[in-house]
Parts: sequence; C-alpha cells; structure tokens
Amino acid sequence: MYRINYRKNFDLFLIILPLIIVSAGLLFLYSASHGIYESNGTNFAHRQAMWLLAGIVMLVIIVNMDFRRILDWSYLCYGIMALMLLVLLFAGGARMGAKRWFSIGWLTFQPSEFAKIILIMVLAFYIGNNRHAIRTIKGLITPFLLAGVLFLLIIKEPDLGSALILLAILFIMLLVSEMPVKYMAGLVIAGVASSPFLWNFLKEYQKRRLLVFINPNMDPLGAGYTIIQSKIAIGSGGLFGRGFLGGTQNQLNFLPESHTDFIFAVIGEEWGFAGVLLVVFLFVFLISRILSVAERTNDFYGKLVVMGVAGMLAFQVIVNIAMTVGLMPVVGIPLPFVSYGGSSLIMNFIAIALVINIDMHRTLF
Amino acid sequence: MIISFIRKIIIALFSVLIVYLFYMQCVRGEYYQDLAKMNRIRLLPLSGPRGNIYDRDGNLLAGNRLAFDCVVMPQEFYPDHKALEELGRLLNKSASVLKDEIRENTIAPFVPMVIKDDVAKELAIAISEKSLDLPGLLIQTRSVRYYPHKNMGSHVIGYLGKINEDELYALSDYGYKAMDHVGRGGLESFYDSYLKGEEGGIQAEVDSRGRELRQLGIKEPEKGKDITTTIDLELEAHIDSLMEGERGAAIVMSSETGEILALVSKPDFDPNIFVSALKPDSIKILLGRSDYPMIDRAISGAYPPGSVFKLVTSSAALDMKRMSLHDQLNCPGFYMLGKWRFNCWKDDGHGTETIIDGIKNSCNVFFYQVGRKAGVDGLAAYAVKYGMGRNSGIDLPYESAGTVPTRAWKLYRMRQSWFEGDTVNYAIGQGYLLVTPIQILRMTNAVGTEGILVKPFLVRKIGGLEVKGAERRRLDISKETFRTIKEGMKRAVDDPSGTAKAARAKGLSVAGKTGTAEAGPKGTHAWFTGFSPADKPQFSLVVFLEYGGKGGDKPAKMASSIFAKLKELGYL
Repeated sequence: MYRINYRKNFDLFLIILPLIIVSAGLLFLYSASHGIYESNGTNFAHRQAMWLLAGIVMLVIIVNMDFRRILDWSYLCYGIMALMLLVLLFAGGARMGAKRWFSIGWLTFQPSEFAKIILIMVLAFYIGNNRHAIRTIKGLITPFLLAGVLFLLIIKEPDLGSALILLAILFIMLLVSEMPVKYMAGLVIAGVASSPFLWNFLKEYQKRRLLVFINPNMDPLGAGYTIIQSKIAIGSGGLFGRGFLGGTQNQLNFLPESHTDFIFAVIGEEWGFAGVLLVVFLFVFLISRILSVAERTNDFYGKLVVMGVAGMLAFQVIVNIAMTVGLMPVVGIPLPFVSYGGSSLIMNFIAIALVINIDMHRTLF
Repeated sequence: MIISFIRKIIIALFSVLIVYLFYMQCVRGEYYQDLAKMNRIRLLPLSGPRGNIYDRDGNLLAGNRLAFDCVVMPQEFYPDHKALEELGRLLNKSASVLKDEIRENTIAPFVPMVIKDDVAKELAIAISEKSLDLPGLLIQTRSVRYYPHKNMGSHVIGYLGKINEDELYALSDYGYKAMDHVGRGGLESFYDSYLKGEEGGIQAEVDSRGRELRQLGIKEPEKGKDITTTIDLELEAHIDSLMEGERGAAIVMSSETGEILALVSKPDFDPNIFVSALKPDSIKILLGRSDYPMIDRAISGAYPPGSVFKLVTSSAALDMKRMSLHDQLNCPGFYMLGKWRFNCWKDDGHGTETIIDGIKNSCNVFFYQVGRKAGVDGLAAYAVKYGMGRNSGIDLPYESAGTVPTRAWKLYRMRQSWFEGDTVNYAIGQGYLLVTPIQILRMTNAVGTEGILVKPFLVRKIGGLEVKGAERRRLDISKETFRTIKEGMKRAVDDPSGTAKAARAKGLSVAGKTGTAEAGPKGTHAWFTGFSPADKPQFSLVVFLEYGGKGGDKPAKMASSIFAKLKELGYL
C-alpha cells in the first residue's frame, strides 16, 4: 500500500530541489572556509556534508512514519522543547554572548531551530482539533499562548531571528485556518502596538542593529560594519560574479559570518547576479511546490503543517536575503539549506520530510 | 484561495529582491567594485628615518633608535577576562582600564591600535612571548629620534613635536603629513627640511585584519640628510658641567670663521621626552617651569649688557675722535649731571685714568663722560655696527634682536624725548639697551679680530656637502681704536687690579671684559666676554649668568676654565 502511494504521490522536486540547494550551499561553504585565516582546520563544507547525511536519515525516517502519530506527540515534544529552552536560559553555554546551544562534546545542538517545527506541529494539532473555536477570540488564546511561550524563551536567549520566525509561522497558520478578517486586522494592530514593549526585550546590540538599519552610517565600524561589507560583496559581484573562490570580500575575510547568516553575500560576490538569480529561483520553485502540496492535500492538519513549513521557509529566505542586501535590519536568520549549521539543516529536512509525508498520504485521509 | 494569495505575495516579495539585486549588481556594480578594491588595497607607509646630527668629530648628537609599540589588532583580539588580566599584568594596568581603552580607541577592526607605545625591550620580548597565547597582540617596531646626551646641547640640537594644523597647511606641499614629527627648536627645526626623511610606502593587498598578503608595489623610504655641526662635544660637555645649576648661557666661537664650538644655555631640557608620548605629563611640567628651560638664553634672551657695553662706548668715542688714547678723565666715585648724581661701582673713585685704565677698571664715571662725548647717536650707531639690535644670523630659530635705543626709538616707544641722563646710563650698558649673549660675543670678537664681524654658524656639512663658510664683514672702524680697546681688555685680565683677572688661564694670553648689569630687585646679571690669544684671537667666548652676581667672579672663572679646556683640546 505504502509503496504504491509512494510512487504515485511523491513529488520528486520536493527532494531534488533541497538537494540541489544544499549542494550549491556546500560549494559556497567551501569558499567561505577557504578564507586564508580559517587555518584552524575547520572546513564548514565537510562538516555540513556530515549534517546533510544526518538530515537525509531523518528525512527517510520521518517520511516512513505515520503522520497522525507524529502529531499525537506534538504536545509532548512541545513540553520537552519549552523545558529545554528554560534550562538553556539558566545553564546554556555562552557563545558570542548568547545562550543558544547545548554542547555535548564537539556536537552542538540549537533547540530554537527545532522549536520552529514543533510550533508548526503543535499549532496544526490544536487548530485542527478546534477548527471552529479558532473563529472566536477565546479559541485564539491557546495558539497565542503556545507561540508566545516559545517566543519569549527564545527572544530571551537572545535569538531575535528565530523568535520572529515563530511569529511568522503563527501568522501564516492562522491565516490558513480562515480566522475572521477582523481578528486578523486586530492582530496586526496589536502587533504594531506591542512593539515598544518588545523593544525592551531586546539586547543592546540588537537595538543597535535595528537603529543602524534606519541609519547605516551611525556605526560603520561596529554594528554597521557587517552590512556594509555584505553590500560591497554582493554589489561587486556584478552580472557574472568574480568567480568561485575569487571574491576578495569573502576570501580576505572582510565579510564576517560569511558561512552562516551572510552566505548569500558569498554567492552574490562569486557568482554575481546570475548566481543569485539561480538560487532565488530554486527557492521560489521549492516553496511553490510546497504550496502546491498544501493545495492538493485534503487533510486539514496536513494543510496547516505544509503551510507552516512554506511560511517558515519563505520568511527565512526573504528576510535573510533582504538582510544581506541591506533592505532589512540584521536579525540573525540563516538561509535555509545553505547557511552552515547542523540543527538548522536537519530541521529543514524534517520540515521537507513532513511535507513529503503529507503529500504521500493525502489520498488516505 | 488563500493559498494562491499567499503564493502571489511570496512571489511579489521575491521579485522585489530580484529587482534590488539587479540594481546593486548590474547597475551599481562598478561602484561596489571600487569599494571592494579600496577595502583590500592599502598603502602602508614606510617612514624614512631622520638624518643624524653629529658634532665636528663625528660624535652622535641626535640619532634614531628602535622603539617597540605594544599593538592590538581589534578584530583578532578577543578580550576575554583572562587575556586582559595577563596583558594588564605586563603593562601594569587593570583589566577594566585596558578593556575601556581598547574599546574607545578602536578605529576599525583591521587598524592596529597602540595600547602602549615605546615599551622597554625586555617588556617587548615578554609581550612577544605572550602573544602566542593572545592572538591579535603584537609588537611593532618603529624608528624614533634619540638624543644620547639627553639635556646636554639640547638648545643647539632642538627637539621634535607632532606637526600641528598650521604647519601642516604650510608644509603639506613639501611632503609633510599629519602625524609627522617636525623640528621644534634648535637645529632640528632650522634644518628640518634636510633632516626629514622621505617617506616611502608599500602598496599591499591586505586581508580584513589589515595583514599584508602580497606586495603590489614598493617605494623605498629615504633617510634624511646627516648634519655635521661645528660643535665640539667635549668642550660642550665641559661648559655644560661648569654651568650646572646656573641660569644663563655660554658660547665659544672661532674668531676667524664664526664656527660655534660650544653653545650652552641653562636651564636645559631632555629632548627625548618630546619624542614618544610616553609621559605627556613631563612635557607639561617642563613647559610650566618658572625658569623657562625651553628658552635658548644664548640667542633668544635679551638682557642689559652692563659694562661689557663699555667696549662699544669706547669704540664710538675713539673712532669718532671725540677723545684720544691719551685723554685723561677723573673719577671721584660719582658723576654729577645737573642735580643728578651717578655713582661709580667703587665708592672712593678711581682717580685719573686713560681709556685703557677705564676699561681695565671698568670705571663707570669714566664712561659716563666718554658716553656723553660720543652722544646717544654715536652709541646707537656703533652698537648697530657691532650687530646689536638685529639677529646675528646664526642657524638657529627664535633668535631675538634685542633693543638698541635711539632718540627716535624713545620718542616712538615711550612718548618721551631723550634725556642726557639716558645717555649716561646707555654708556655703561644700562637703561633701555637689551642684547643677547651671541650679540656680545660677536661684538667682542670683532674687537679682538680688529674689525671682522662674523656670522656665527653651527653646521659645516649637510649630507656630503660642505657648507660654504659664513659671511664675514670688515667693520670700518680704525685699527687704532681696536688696539686701544684690546689693550684695556688685556690689562683687565693681566693687571692685578683688573676686573677680569679671574679669567686668566695658564699659558694663555687672554683679553676680556666683565659686566655686572643692574636687573631690578632680584640682583645683577653677570657677564664675561673675551678672547685668546689676546693679540690675534683664535677663539672668543661669552659667559652670561642671569642674576649671577658680579661678572668678575663666576663668569670670569668659568671663562678661565673654558680657555684652559680649549688649550687642553689643542685648539689654543
């Protein structure tokens, strides 16, 4: 039964596109590690390739699981996640002034990445079970609480980027669950109204980043430095780029964080407009395919999950690129499948696996 | 339906990004490429060391030494507490102070930041060893000015200072740049354009930490020209020790040429403290001192000459034939001008004297009368002839011209007509007259050489080139006049009752004149000026002590010692 469904319902692009993007990402990670002064033996491309294997294993496992059972676990997963984030706040190892990682030996693990997928699942589970309640204000309290707790725990780490993604996920899932327009409008107004309150949650450097965005020349060598270097890298790429390993901004280490949040600048510098166009196109294609899954699935739970994944990916890609070209403040959001990071890569494969799973089982429901 | 709406929104947002990327990369690509180029290509200046300054025998007076700066590369240096503590221990600063300094002084992540300049060599080695554990910490070397003899000769050699805005404006066409050091006094200032090295530079490709990856081009820096002075270090040192603790100046000059063999001004200063900003406090203390150690009293200080001016008074009266060698004048101990009484320094008087005795005794009453014979116009004219009232032209900055008063001068400056009493004062070197020690030296030398007025100078060689001997002028004053005055000066030294007898030097014939100038309530300035050998001088000297008592005491004794040293050194 499974096998038949597998052949019949499986959109190959859902697995091919991420793999193409990851492969391109490995090239750029290689380039980013090639910088002359990364002489401590760290090769981000090698490590990422290992994470890729782990991600594919996770994908295979999840694709072959029963989607309903996965959703049944969502509250448990949510509880464990909240607990982990709480522990992290008090006991997490400080790295770059932030408590985002658990370290076990050389292995580091970033719970906030998994919080995204867990939020998608828990929201899908709750909204799916309370489809009509969601149309009332009372019914909205629980989804907001579910998202709010994780949001506060993560923004406190501080990880502004991941926290914002949670809000984006909540927003798009409520949108899909056909929440009345007046509530949606109220939500937007409430969001704007509460921003001064959220401002106080931010760390000094985060506030500075946001202010620098309003006036980039305010601090050209501090918070503004990265964005200036990133713009130079992308802009100097021109139409066809400066060639693989040929970007001086990246290779001479003018570009900080080139292997994580600013990997897109490496693409822009070395492959130029042609390269970024290709990468953007791959992402648009992938997201579009995921949206198609959402359109054709009959399962409301599945639809919610798929839309959560689509929203999460789209938000991350758009904000990350906008950030590296200076159209948005730097908030620390990685480029899915491309930026270096094991937790992020595995989480993205899990998300894709869920989409494939739902796509495969759509006729079962 | 909602999904297709979301799809449209997402595609719209991506389209905005694509358009913006196209604008950045294809429209403004060149602009960003220029910025990228500026990022990676840096001109690393190579400073050309300053030329050395030597004494006449090639002893170093000013040179360059290697200084070690403790430097931090902000991007590489992650100031965790342990690193700061360790560094603080080495530099004797607290970790928190160090952290603040690093944060405040960081210009750019890739611009090295000096956290302590000019550290001792031992400390530099210790820091270098530590830098293995503390990435981003390093020792940079640079060449800095070095004055091996510290205070000695500081007024001749001068010192350096950071170029200021006005100087930069005036000198930028000549290759001076901000942060350059320029000469601020002495030869360092006067010959700055020769001493200054030519800056070179390396055009280099650098990484984000400012580290050089590849040289693209190099222009070798050039060392400034070396300067050889006329100073004799040993003589300078001798006079320096004689003058220790005094305030004043002493100069020794070659009579024929005007070469300065020694020039000492006290108090003095250590020019080394201006070189590194090691102790800005000590500069402040130096500049704030009430005894003005920065003033070169030999050329910049203008003082009443007192009795040494009697040589000018004599010249005027004799050369203008207002009196003769044989004329005799009486000194009862005082001189009456109308109802005004002018005293001699000797209460019971010198009796009847010729001009030779007058000079020997430095008799005031005698010169009151001689001065009146010459008149104010005669005194002023001869003072100017001897080079007073204008710069000597020595190759040092900040020379003072002094004041040679005339009737017109007094009318203009004091709004008063000239009184005969002014002339009487003028004759013995008091009143409005102000001179510098170098002017007195020149004047004395002209008397000794029977009319050669030289321009004193300090530099005999610039780079490999001999400097043309300085100009000499023959004064149109009769030989007889000079010989008469010289006779008086010889007697002042040789005669048991001569005022300058303390200046005698064993085995040498010395001629001299003392001066004790009234200088207000704080006492008298003491002068001695003279030359040797007395008949055909080879060297002239002047010793001046601010509030130094009588010229016949300390200054004459010092002169004796200086003459003896000249003999010992083989000059006489």
